[in-house]
Amino acid sequence: MAPVATLILLLPLVGFLWVLMMGTSLKERVIGVAATGVVALSFVLSVVAFFLLLRHSDREMTVHLFNWISVGTLNVPAALLVDPLSITMCLFVTGISALIHLYSIGYMKGEKDVRKFFLYLNLFVFSMLLLVLANNLLVTFVGWEGVGVCSYWLVSYYFYRDSAASAGKKAFLYNRVGDIGLLVAMFLLFHATHTLTYLGVFHAAGTLSPTVATLTVLALLLAATGKSAQIPLFNWLPDAMEGPTPVSALIHAATMVTAGVYLLVRMSPVLAMSPDGRATIAVIGGVTAFVAATIATSQKDIKKVLAFSTVSQIGYMVLAVGVGAYSAAIFLMIAHAFFKALLFLGSGSVIHSLGGEQDLRKMGGLAKYLPLTFPTFLIGWLTISGVPPFAGFFAKGDVLTNVFEHNKPLWVLGVVTAILTAYYMSRLFVLTFRGTERFREVTHGHDPHESPWVMTLPLVVLAVLSVLGGLLDLPWAHGRSLAGFLAPVLGYVPRVAAASTGAQWGLAAVDVAAAVFGLLAAFSIWKDITESSRYESSFLEHVWHWDDLYDATIGRPLTEAAVFSDEVLEPQVIDGAVTGVAVATRNSAEGLRKLQSGFARQYALAMVLGFAVIIVYLVARVH
Amino acid sequence: MHSSIYLTVLIVVPLFGALVAALKGRTPGLSYAVGVGTASVELVLSLVVALLYNPHVKGAGTWDFMSRHVLSAPLGLAYDVALDGISLLMVVLTALVLFLALLGARDRRHEPAFVAWLLLLTGFTMASFLSHDVLEFFIFFELTLVPSYFLISGWGGAQRSRAALKFFIYTFTGSAFLFIGILYLGFMNQHQTEGALSFSYSVLDHTAMSHGTAVWLFLAFAIAFAVKSPIFPFHTWSPVTYAEAPTAGSIELSALLAKLGTYGLLRFAVGLFPLALPTLRPLLLTLAVISILYGSLVACATPDLKRLVAYSSLAQMGFITLGIVTGSKIAMVGAVLLMFNHGVITAGFFLIVGFLEKRRGSYQIKDMTGLQGPAPVFAAIFTVVMMASIGLPGLSGFVSEYLILIGTFGTHAWWGAAATLGVVAAAAYLLWAYQRVFHGEAKGPNAEITDATPKERWVLVPVVVLIVALGVFPHPVLDRITPSVTQLIHHVAPAGVNK
Amino acid sequence: MSGLVIPSIHYLAILPILIFFGASLLLLVVSALVDTKVTTLLATAITALTGVATIVVAILQWSYVANHGASTTVAHAVVLDGFAVVGTVAIAASVVLSSFVAYDWARRERVAGADFHILALASATGALLMVSANDLIVIFLGLEILSIGLYVLVGFDRHRTTSAEASLKYFLLGGFASAIFIYGAALVYGATGSTNLGSIAYFLSNNLVLHPGLLYAGGALLLIGFAFKVAAVPFHLWSPDVYEGAPTPVTGVMASIVKVGAFLALLRVLISALGTQLDTWRPILFVLIALTCVVGAVVALVQRNVKRLLAYSSINQAGFILLGVWSGSARGVAATLFFVLTYAPVVIATFAVVTLMGGRGDELHSIDHYRGLARRQPWLGGALTVLLLSQLGARLTVGFYAKCTVLAAAIDSGGGALALVAILSAAVAAYFYLRWAMWLYADDDVEATRVVVPPMTGVVIGVGVVVAILFGLWPGPLVTWCQHAPLLFLP
Repeated sequence: MAPVATLILLLPLVGFLWVLMMGTSLKERVIGVAATGVVALSFVLSVVAFFLLLRHSDREMTVHLFNWISVGTLNVPAALLVDPLSITMCLFVTGISALIHLYSIGYMKGEKDVRKFFLYLNLFVFSMLLLVLANNLLVTFVGWEGVGVCSYWLVSYYFYRDSAASAGKKAFLYNRVGDIGLLVAMFLLFHATHTLTYLGVFHAAGTLSPTVATLTVLALLLAATGKSAQIPLFNWLPDAMEGPTPVSALIHAATMVTAGVYLLVRMSPVLAMSPDGRATIAVIGGVTAFVAATIATSQKDIKKVLAFSTVSQIGYMVLAVGVGAYSAAIFLMIAHAFFKALLFLGSGSVIHSLGGEQDLRKMGGLAKYLPLTFPTFLIGWLTISGVPPFAGFFAKGDVLTNVFEHNKPLWVLGVVTAILTAYYMSRLFVLTFRGTERFREVTHGHDPHESPWVMTLPLVVLAVLSVLGGLLDLPWAHGRSLAGFLAPVLGYVPRVAAASTGAQWGLAAVDVAAAVFGLLAAFSIWKDITESSRYESSFLEHVWHWDDLYDATIGRPLTEAAVFSDEVLEPQVIDGAVTGVAVATRNSAEGLRKLQSGFARQYALAMVLGFAVIIVYLVARVH
Repeated sequence: MHSSIYLTVLIVVPLFGALVAALKGRTPGLSYAVGVGTASVELVLSLVVALLYNPHVKGAGTWDFMSRHVLSAPLGLAYDVALDGISLLMVVLTALVLFLALLGARDRRHEPAFVAWLLLLTGFTMASFLSHDVLEFFIFFELTLVPSYFLISGWGGAQRSRAALKFFIYTFTGSAFLFIGILYLGFMNQHQTEGALSFSYSVLDHTAMSHGTAVWLFLAFAIAFAVKSPIFPFHTWSPVTYAEAPTAGSIELSALLAKLGTYGLLRFAVGLFPLALPTLRPLLLTLAVISILYGSLVACATPDLKRLVAYSSLAQMGFITLGIVTGSKIAMVGAVLLMFNHGVITAGFFLIVGFLEKRRGSYQIKDMTGLQGPAPVFAAIFTVVMMASIGLPGLSGFVSEYLILIGTFGTHAWWGAAATLGVVAAAAYLLWAYQRVFHGEAKGPNAEITDATPKERWVLVPVVVLIVALGVFPHPVLDRITPSVTQLIHHVAPAGVNK
Repeated sequence: MSGLVIPSIHYLAILPILIFFGASLLLLVVSALVDTKVTTLLATAITALTGVATIVVAILQWSYVANHGASTTVAHAVVLDGFAVVGTVAIAASVVLSSFVAYDWARRERVAGADFHILALASATGALLMVSANDLIVIFLGLEILSIGLYVLVGFDRHRTTSAEASLKYFLLGGFASAIFIYGAALVYGATGSTNLGSIAYFLSNNLVLHPGLLYAGGALLLIGFAFKVAAVPFHLWSPDVYEGAPTPVTGVMASIVKVGAFLALLRVLISALGTQLDTWRPILFVLIALTCVVGAVVALVQRNVKRLLAYSSINQAGFILLGVWSGSARGVAATLFFVLTYAPVVIATFAVVTLMGGRGDELHSIDHYRGLARRQPWLGGALTVLLLSQLGARLTVGFYAKCTVLAAAIDSGGGALALVAILSAAVAAYFYLRWAMWLYADDDVEATRVVVPPMTGVVIGVGVVVAILFGLWPGPLVTWCQHAPLLFLP
């Protein structure tokens, strides 16, 4: 097992290093194939690891690589933890990554710097695997930051575009704010439990005082909001769409943005110690899901819509974590990875066919030009809308049922969000594939053409996965499927203990109704774009003016403070004090120089005065 | 216990090299060759010492290579060298920085003098790090002023004279307090022992003193070191000096001489006056945190790349000070490690900035745009250095910063939390600077600049290698630092420092 | 038959004085006989011989003292001890160096004759008398001999009216100071019944002075007399004018020989006569030192004329030397000796450079005149840099150890605050020394003419630099020697 796990992790790194060392001599195609190959290989190995783990008695083993940091009581090994959770993550991370690598070969063809692209992509996969495989918080943090920086590089891939450059920076900084949370959480846990390894922390989790536990959970939540684009740190994700579409699909939909959820799930024993913390998580998740969904209804950029839908879907996952339905969160995470990657790649294919156009108002009626993209996208759309029997229906249903059990108001919010989801996705679908053809001036009259097989193959695979994804965790097969597999890590909670099967059917019916309602609404409204655009609100389009708020409250004040410090405080006050002393000395020198009149009589006078002073002192001393 | 000959050679080689370089001025290029030769020898030698170093010498604590020769009993003057895990790191850094400065920032104007001053500076710095005698340390500590002064005033920018003078006077004034403090301590010790006047570290650190005395002496020492480091609010000489100094000078100053300050604070202020620590800790912690946040803030707004590095150094010095004074062992180890890492990182910064200046003839950020297009290699290396400075895990900066923060958090949670904000701030000003310099569309002269030449790449290789290596395998280094820090902590421990 | 009783005289003790006195007389005669062209050279040679001879004698004296301990002679009026020996060496060396500088100066200024050397030797005789005197009257005698010679020397340069003016100024104020001094001596006599330092000390230690007013007033007057000679603030005002006016070699003499004589005499009076009264004098000295250090350093900042600048710099240095006096301990005495011993050659060498740069007519003393000197003439410029750094107190120059010893002495006797004031003033002083040094390396002035360095002046500068560096690297032996001197100190 140990070598397998190590190889899973290292193969992408090897790919990265190899391409890096070979320099610019390599051919574009070779690079692409190599990069895809190593990732595919580590997927295969993940499968192997999965079966090895099934044979493993306690389904949990630590692989010690080397001793990283050890000072006094702080001992941090570079070690991996192989257990159902990490393997599950490995499976879908490597799987999706392999597909998207393949897709990228086609999508990035002819781009200026393909080598750089695949370098970053491989490095990203490595970091992501490190994140999920680490056996302690600090190594996880390495992966955590690694994916962050890769996302920074890939978002600002078109660095000559200022918008791209700024978006990359924004993404990194928002993540950085979240990182404070993870750092603080580590500090708190280390000083409470004197270890950073997951198993050690879990073992001592019971001893955590309520305050520390709550603080830690909130810190972890901050970290999650940063990485997984939740309120209040969610608004970097839409900007991140500046990156190439495969990047949006891989990093900003399927894998990286779910890291926050993974972290929370991984830390479930600590979460268990703080009900207040979990409640906060649930609220954040539910609200984010709703807010993002509303925003998605009014975006004009196809990728922006998908971005906000991602935020919203992750909101569901966080909500699930909040109510303690960890396996549900993972289930939705995987399902979401399938259909959101599918949707992004599909949109990428669309954009590709329109020579880079992303504005929904310039599309429409593409169905007949994209024979493969259209059906696959259709599946993706139905899946995310929560239409049975696709994966989305089961995953979302799993989440909502759990929420219903624990928190009714949030369940209502969740259902409303479900309606909105169906609505905005249908809007997207209609505007893209149906209705009148509005793309002619973009394509200069030509017909759009379908993408090459390297791009469409992944679409097909993902479509199939979206259809069958539900099988991972069918309600009636619960104990034996995903939830059962993850049980050793998460503690198997027999779901809906209270709710009878009847209640379950009822909840499922509500979900379906919500989906159908959303669909119909969208179809009825978006028949004709010209007058239905009044159903878009600029408030929603401008993300509830969230950016403006931050700019006004944080951005501008800080900038002014910085400029003030540089131009006034520094030179005039702090250095002013120093130069002030110098100037004072010089002035006193000028003053003293005046005494130097050149007249002997005055010199004599000075001597006499000096004498007088001395005498006065002595007289005083005598008496 | 190894013979102290190694250390003596370490000190003598650069001084001798300086002499030769100065005398061989006539033949062009020869002095430079001498310089490079000396630097290589020094580097190899320091690595040999690093490998030989044995932290567990009987009866000498973690001190190795120790020997003491009294030069003038009445003056208490002695040649007393020794090396422990802390100074070991500084020694290697000294040799390394000289190497980088010579290869990366060659200056052909009055070359013999340039090389000679540079070697002299190295020799003196080396000697101060190896001094096991407080007076001896002070003498070399002060001596470093002279070569740096001439380097700045001789090869600097337009404002060089002003900068050099300000630098010299400011530091000189600061160390006036140190000087008085040292003499006072010496006599206090002599009156207690009624023996000969001695400034040996291992003698002085047994001086008994009242709490008040300890506080005053600590302050006297700390002022000198705070100026040298620099720590807020004694930092205002550094931006102008770093900006005006020639690249080699900026490297030596920020990568090396700054460490003399923090090293002194750790070894002498904290080591000799532990009694004062509990009283002064709040003050020092506050100043450290202010240095971190204020430095980052100004760095956001400053229009000049060198000044930007200067302010980021201020922030880094804040981190180091934080680690030194919290009294947590983990943090202290982190501080020592950061001294080294910051040296490498800042050297990398100044080298690249210098290379860019050679091409664009300016340090102004506004004069550079989209350089990543024409100069991807520079961009890549700058990114690595930048990420290390931001504290990206896997690179050297992170390990040290993390140790400092986690240690501080244990002893002084609030200051630790405040310092953690610095992690975001660093990312803010560096990424913004990077965006303005390297991102965007390169037009006009920016589009014409050439990428790094092979020579320039080779100079930057060690920087990158060290940054990555110490990020992934900090172990060998930590193993050498930790015993010495532990020893120091044990000495300081009675004064309310938890291990 | 009864007649005048000649007290027993131990000639070894007064041999240096006699040599110098004799040498000056000899020169007087020779210069009258020999053709004026050669006299200057001859005079320089004789002065050099005198100096060397004196140093040899000093060595003999030292060995004698080392064996037999310190002793007095000529009815306890003159003392032979290690302290005096060191002073003698310092003075003799200074005279030789100054005479070399003067030779080249005289050649340049077309001043024939041996007048300078005669007068310098005479003044030095006074200084020698001062360092070995054990009686207020004898000290006064030395003071006068020293001064009278100088009055003339200052006005020596007939081409420059400033010289005459300075001479007059110096004469007036000097006379004033002498009067004050002798009056002080009289009062002390009145209070203690003796002018002999030993007797004074004996009297003070065995009697309780009920009405110390008389003694205090006397002591104060003596102190002022000395303060004037060493140019301590506020009795310093004459010195910048006189330094500027006097011919530059003479300025060198004033900065070295006069200071040595005055400081050592002051030290002897304070310690061996008024040693029991230290608590009374220290506060006064404290203020005096603080003022001297600060004013000297600060006012120098705004000087453009290097001779005035050096005047203030030497005021600042005087403040440091006074630190050693203030401490009044053995360590302090040793420190003072070490300081004057090393400061004299350095300052003479500095003035030697200034003499060269002054050019024909001894007029070019603006600091601007020094721009780029080191670029044009690296050796000369480098030498001046070293000399300045030494006076600044830069490490690895003897100046550092000089300052180090006096500061140490002061701190050792509880003068930490005073030491801090002094060293901070040194930080201020660093500014003008450095600014000067920096101008030497300014490369914006190329057309300026090179100055020729005549051999003798070259030697002097060389000696100054060697002293500055050699003892900067290796102060041990010299410090130890100075440390021994006070051990053989009377009483």
